Amino acid sequence: MQRLRHLPLTLRVPLIAALMMVLVGIVASQQVLAALGRVQDARLQELAALHIEGLSVALGPLVLRNDIWEIYDTLDRAGSAGKTPRMVLTVVAEESGRVLAASDPRRVPVDSAIDGLDANAQSLDAVSISGADQHLRVAAPLFYQGRIVGSITTELDVADLVAERRQAGLYLLIGNALATGVLALGGYLAMRRMLRPMTVLVRGMDATDGQPRPIPSTDVPKGDTELARLFLTYNAMTHAVEARVEAERRLAERERFVSLGRLSSSLAHEINNPLGGLLNATDTITRYAERPQVVRQSAALLERGLKHLRDVVRATLDENRLDHSGTRLSASDFDDLRLLIGPETARQGQSLDWQVSGAPDLLSRHDAGSLRQIILNLLLNASEAADKGGKIGLEVQARPDALVVTVTDDGPGLPEAARLRLLTSTAIPPGGGTGLRLVRDLVLKEGGEIDCAPQSKGTRIVLTFPVKEGTQLC
Amino acid sequence: MAFTRRASLSFAGAAAALTLAAPRLGAQVSFRLGLTPVFRDNDAAIIEQLRATLGAAMGRSVELVQRRTYQEVTGLLLGGAVDAAWLCGYPYLQHQTALSLVAVPLWRGAPRYRSYLIAAPTDDARALADLEGSMHAFSDPDSNSGYLVTASDLARARQRPENFFARTIFTYGHRNVVRAVGAGLVRSGSVDGYVWETLASVEPDLTAQTKVIARSEWLGFPPFCARADRMASPNLRAFQSCLLNMSATEEGRRALALLQLDGMVPGTPALFDGIARRLRDFDGAR
Repeated sequence: MQRLRHLPLTLRVPLIAALMMVLVGIVASQQVLAALGRVQDARLQELAALHIEGLSVALGPLVLRNDIWEIYDTLDRAGSAGKTPRMVLTVVAEESGRVLAASDPRRVPVDSAIDGLDANAQSLDAVSISGADQHLRVAAPLFYQGRIVGSITTELDVADLVAERRQAGLYLLIGNALATGVLALGGYLAMRRMLRPMTVLVRGMDATDGQPRPIPSTDVPKGDTELARLFLTYNAMTHAVEARVEAERRLAERERFVSLGRLSSSLAHEINNPLGGLLNATDTITRYAERPQVVRQSAALLERGLKHLRDVVRATLDENRLDHSGTRLSASDFDDLRLLIGPETARQGQSLDWQVSGAPDLLSRHDAGSLRQIILNLLLNASEAADKGGKIGLEVQARPDALVVTVTDDGPGLPEAARLRLLTSTAIPPGGGTGLRLVRDLVLKEGGEIDCAPQSKGTRIVLTFPVKEGTQLC
Repeated sequence: MAFTRRASLSFAGAAAALTLAAPRLGAQVSFRLGLTPVFRDNDAAIIEQLRATLGAAMGRSVELVQRRTYQEVTGLLLGGAVDAAWLCGYPYLQHQTALSLVAVPLWRGAPRYRSYLIAAPTDDARALADLEGSMHAFSDPDSNSGYLVTASDLARARQRPENFFARTIFTYGHRNVVRAVGAGLVRSGSVDGYVWETLASVEPDLTAQTKVIARSEWLGFPPFCARADRMASPNLRAFQSCLLNMSATEEGRRALALLQLDGMVPGTPALFDGIARRLRDFDGAR
């Protein structure tokens, strides 16, 4: 049965139909054979009754007189009357069980005991052929003048009836096997035809690369059948799936900008803060243009301020560059990240524990774009979780086999909703952690693992990115 | 004396038969012949040929009367219900005073036959003595070859059939004795030698199931008898002449051929002396 489940529906249904046909065949055959048996038994019973009752009439007075010769003579003449003797042996015994005469005296001698013969004899009203026994014994009491004077035991030759029954059974078996075979084949063909749309549907579902493909309208069965409705529903579902995928893509895109939005205010500060000093410097240059020393100092100040602004702008641009593909990770990516998160932590008065180590060739085995996005999002979340004056940390270890990134904070711990977003693919309402689902998607895309064991205080998220095969040489 | 008892029994039977036959006496125009199984009386062709032969020769219809036992037929004869009967030598001797011989058939050239003791071909018995304690079939208690011969043999050995044999049965027919032995119903049987020999030629399959283990001396062949007081009647004279001249007519020869007999002779009581001796020995032992 378990194995049956692995068969395609087009085979399974005709097989089950054939199996049921076989069952019906067996039951029907049993019925036919039982009916045949009943007919044979009735025939036999009638025959035996006629034989025994006929003999009883003749034998009654003879048994009473113990007239052995006349009993034998009667049996002998009765036995030789039929052309194909059904009665193989008839034995007449007196009441005490002593044999008076048998149609075959050599087999059952006069004066022997009837017991051995009578042991497995059937009574006249319950004559029935059983099994493959070719002989059947019937015993009946011999009535004469209203009392039992002896008994008649008859052995009937039922070989022909047994053979008839066996032959009928054989014909039924062959007939049923043929009928079942033909019907099963017909059932298979009909089923295959009926289930062809299902095959189309299954193929449409199988060949989707993770995305269901709608069935062309030409392949949808005509009419308002269950199958047609199924196809239409399936197509509607594929569209819904497409729409959902699109929505997810947009959401991920938006999450990227959300983190950017989060950064923008601190970045505005970062740009605004030096602007006052820079404006002062230009003012100083304007005011003290004749004092070369002052001008030089102010120009140097201006240069440092503008360089800083340039770095901030470049890091921001890098972060938002849409196509990071092919860019390998390097130490400068972590400098950028520090530059981007620095103003936020500074604004919150948080201390940043920054420990990045790793040889360039080990770092370069990983993709820069994804990792920057992942780490930035996690750092922003950590900064948000840690209160003013709190602690956040980043530790990066570039090992030959994997890159391990650990982001910590001393906040109140990851809320359940955020944890679900980060660790599962369950659909959950928005809220609870910025871009954590994006983090999850990116980590999975990079083949990494996320570990977020509950802490007594704060949050500690460990990401492990195994080195991908074939990237060693990059 | 047993002889007397037997005779009185026969008369009782005859009286009964007479009563039954009485309504027909007045209208009787046909000659009535009683038959016993001293020949193959089961053969319809023989019965028919006998009736035709006798009827043609006597110029009147002949009615053949068969009964189960010798005693019944003897009773019919003594009571006058039949005009004549083909009896056995034994009942003839039992009623010798009342009966006369009409004719005695010739078998193999002589008016005599033998009694056979038969058993299955595989039986290792070689004489009557070997059959002690087994089952035996007689033909009729009034049959010479089918009872008296064996019974008198046993009487001479100071035995009685009912003690010597485990069980005896009467089959009321010599052919039945052959059947009983052939089928294995009994181990042995006493049978008319003439009947056995004729059976051997017409039903060889039947006699092949038996073998003769002993033959008696030659004894008087079963005779045709009539009441002594009626011997002078024209009917009986015509019947006797018809029997004695049977071999002279085509019909008669055909009947004799079927019976496998050679002809008929008047016969004398002396022919049955052998049977008489046995009867004496048998009665003497009782």
